[in-house]
Amino acid sequence: MSDPASASPRSAPPSAWLRSRWAGWFIAGVGVVALLLVPSTYDALYGFQAGFQLHRISLIGIYIIAALAQNVLTGYAAQPSLGNAAFFGVGAYLLAWTNTDLHQPYWLGIVIAMVVCALLGLIVGGPALRISGTYLAIATLGLVLVTQSLLDLWDKTNGRQSYDLTQLPLSLGDDHTLYVFIVVIVVAVLFFVRNILQSRVGRAWVAIRDNEAAAEAFGINLTTYKLLAFVISALLTGLAGALYATWATTASSSSSSADQTIAFLAMIVVGGLGSIVGSVIGAIFVGFLPLLLQQLPAIVSAGPIRIQVTTLQSGIFGLLLLLALIFFPEGLRGIVDRAGLLMRRLLNRHIATGASEGVER
Amino acid sequence: MTDALLTITDLTVRFGGLVAVDRFDLTVPSGQIVALVGPNGAGKTTVLNCISGFVTPTNGAIQFAGRDLLRLPRNQRARVGIGRTFQNLQLFASMTVLDNLLTAQHSALRATILGGLLPFGPARAEDARARAHALATLDLLGLAHYAHQVAGTLPFGAQKLVGVARALVVRPQLVLLDEPAAGVMHADVLDLAASLRRWRDEVGTTLLLVEHNMSLVQAVADSVTVLDYGRKLAEGLPQAVLSDPAVLEAYLGSDGAASDATVVAEEAPNVAN
Amino acid sequence: MVAFLQVALAGVVTGSIYGLLALGIVLIYRTTGVLNFAYGAIGAVCTGFMAILMMGPRLPFGLALLGALIFSALLGMGLERSFARPVLRAPVFTKAIATLALALILETVAQQIWPQLSQAVHFSSPFATASVRVGGVYIALIDVVILLVTAGVMVALQLFLTRTKLGIAMRATADNQDAARLMGAPVGNISLLTWGLSAVIAALAGILLASRTGLMNLSFLDPVLILAFIGAVLGGLESLPGALIGGIVIGLLDNLLALILAGHSLGPLDISDPGIRQALIFGGFVLVLLFRPQGLLGQATLRRV
Repeated sequence: MSDPASASPRSAPPSAWLRSRWAGWFIAGVGVVALLLVPSTYDALYGFQAGFQLHRISLIGIYIIAALAQNVLTGYAAQPSLGNAAFFGVGAYLLAWTNTDLHQPYWLGIVIAMVVCALLGLIVGGPALRISGTYLAIATLGLVLVTQSLLDLWDKTNGRQSYDLTQLPLSLGDDHTLYVFIVVIVVAVLFFVRNILQSRVGRAWVAIRDNEAAAEAFGINLTTYKLLAFVISALLTGLAGALYATWATTASSSSSSADQTIAFLAMIVVGGLGSIVGSVIGAIFVGFLPLLLQQLPAIVSAGPIRIQVTTLQSGIFGLLLLLALIFFPEGLRGIVDRAGLLMRRLLNRHIATGASEGVER
Repeated sequence: MTDALLTITDLTVRFGGLVAVDRFDLTVPSGQIVALVGPNGAGKTTVLNCISGFVTPTNGAIQFAGRDLLRLPRNQRARVGIGRTFQNLQLFASMTVLDNLLTAQHSALRATILGGLLPFGPARAEDARARAHALATLDLLGLAHYAHQVAGTLPFGAQKLVGVARALVVRPQLVLLDEPAAGVMHADVLDLAASLRRWRDEVGTTLLLVEHNMSLVQAVADSVTVLDYGRKLAEGLPQAVLSDPAVLEAYLGSDGAASDATVVAEEAPNVAN
Repeated sequence: MVAFLQVALAGVVTGSIYGLLALGIVLIYRTTGVLNFAYGAIGAVCTGFMAILMMGPRLPFGLALLGALIFSALLGMGLERSFARPVLRAPVFTKAIATLALALILETVAQQIWPQLSQAVHFSSPFATASVRVGGVYIALIDVVILLVTAGVMVALQLFLTRTKLGIAMRATADNQDAARLMGAPVGNISLLTWGLSAVIAALAGILLASRTGLMNLSFLDPVLILAFIGAVLGGLESLPGALIGGIVIGLLDNLLALILAGHSLGPLDISDPGIRQALIFGGFVLVLLFRPQGLLGQATLRRV
């Protein structure tokens, strides 16, 4: 046991403000304002191409919601489910159905997608409690493939080539509005999820992850909280799916593919399990990096060597992903943590030297 | 002193052919500190696991505050007022010490997921009270300086103490302590003994302690029960029981070892004061 | 009855290929804890190498096969050193996603070297057209070869793991790596061997499948891989015979369901659609896991407090 006297100065550092809730809200506020300034910046940067570019980065927001959902389930409540793309696809199709075929208002379609997915999450979560580890991962992966087959079949039975959303609100057709719409939803989701994770419910999930037996001994009902994680995760993924359909103005069964579901897992693994910041970083890495790679010149030539970069994109992405995993096995959020630590240390030193100078004077 | 808080009657646990606990009776009076000692494999932890529900006994009854404990599901037992620590830590390693103590208060809090959505409101007020309560508990046990450190990164001895704090924070009527002193340095054991006694005196918690460390047992226990091969060997005041030749024999083999136990018995009174 | 037998046979044959892949998946999973999503890419690259040997230098089938198998062993061991080592101590999810990155890299590199393989190419084999007739049932020669090779691999692997010193050390490593290291098992070499061996199995599975269909490209094993994973989990992820049986069960089910559902429809719903078949198989798989959470041949693990 270390000496309390030496430990206590560290527990109340001068940089306590940086850790206080006000600092957090302040940083979040600055972030939101910055995000809302992006459209004007893009107008200046890209001119008439700004809409197209904004549309592309709006996709990251949708992935952030999906990554958060996966992280709640896998990173916090420790359920290694690979089933989330099922809800992603169902959310997209439900919105397409209520919008195009049932002519319901857009917001109602979103609500229906979320509620139905939450119910499906409950149905999937029930059996999932009996299965654990790798078995659960592969079983839920099977669920995604079933969903994809069924959605495909629905398309085929109705003789559709694609399930287009024809009754979307006109304003969402504008890329600037769509961007702001998605940013607002993402910020709201981040806000609510953060609050939940810091509440009694979030602590119960982490307790289950850290130690099931101890969690139970302190009265945490494992069934209730695991099911709750499935429901919340499915609800958020359903929302992300519906937004994806809005973004693409069409619903496609590839939303429920094995690739998609593994991409969600990849986001939280590369970003950081059990971390909100990690979900965001992971969504950017997996969702945005491929877009950046598309910006590379098609052909790079150095002397006699001509390299066809376009065909290398997925390989470069794979390599970067692999390097990230090797150097940050606990996720890229480690970079942010380290930066925060560095800042705190610098600030401490600054204040400490300032204080000692004051004493001398 | 007062009436019995916990009564175990005729408790038997069989794991396949092995009889871990054999027709064991124990009465823990309210407000007392009772120690359960015995050689390794004597069935002490099994008795604790029966009380907290991780093991279902083959036979017997456990009454707690007038209710049949064995009919309560495992996760309900915290709710009726039973807390415990674990032999092999089982802290929530990725959480801070403070969050460990907040999580331990799970049953005492009511916030649902809807209340958790907002950064203010009744759920947060409740959380703030729980936080104050946790900090007060850490203070009383002399652990306040650990509050914001991640539990899994603390030295082993400190983690044991956090385990004790986590069990005590909800102020349960009965706390089961499974070898709280194992792995804790000698000087800290004396601190722990003082903390436990102070806690009992101030809060009135009943403690059932499984322990190998005789200095701790001598220092805190009001009565000692000795288990050997699942059966009760002796029961009574610490001084009397721990100098009982039959107990020494079971514990330490026959001759030569007795001197060790005497040493323990001699140093103990100093600790208690 | 003849039709049924014919279909059942086809099921066992495709199931054997799933089973072979499942064997390799379980082998790597047990010894190194890696859920290998790159396994299909490894098999496809080796099969592609053989196709190139037959198309380019026009090597005869046997020589090309030998070359491909040697290549696969080297590839597997090379991947162990360059890829599996750095991520060995990483959390299990990190390892799984790392194999995904590996698959992307492998496919890209292979595509750069052999651009012609990004489209389906003809894969010729000497067993392509011949068949034998037993009773009323036609058996294609390639199907016989698949069954024989699968049985051979299974028996050889089982003998190796139970009768040889190295094989026993390998099983010890799978059970408890740290304990095995303390007992003096060459854990590093075992990991190398496992990757080499499983890459050879992947190559065999790929070559057999390509010989049967006469076609291959660099992603032709991807859809098969998922069925192999399901077979492996169905068999319990622990036992090699379990993996093989799991794979065969999946193959049988797929073919039999196709026979039963053919030509039927429920109202506007065409239930002979492969989608329905897949849904039924995956649904059944989840049901099996509900009643046997550790798979058909897996053993329940104990939880200690």
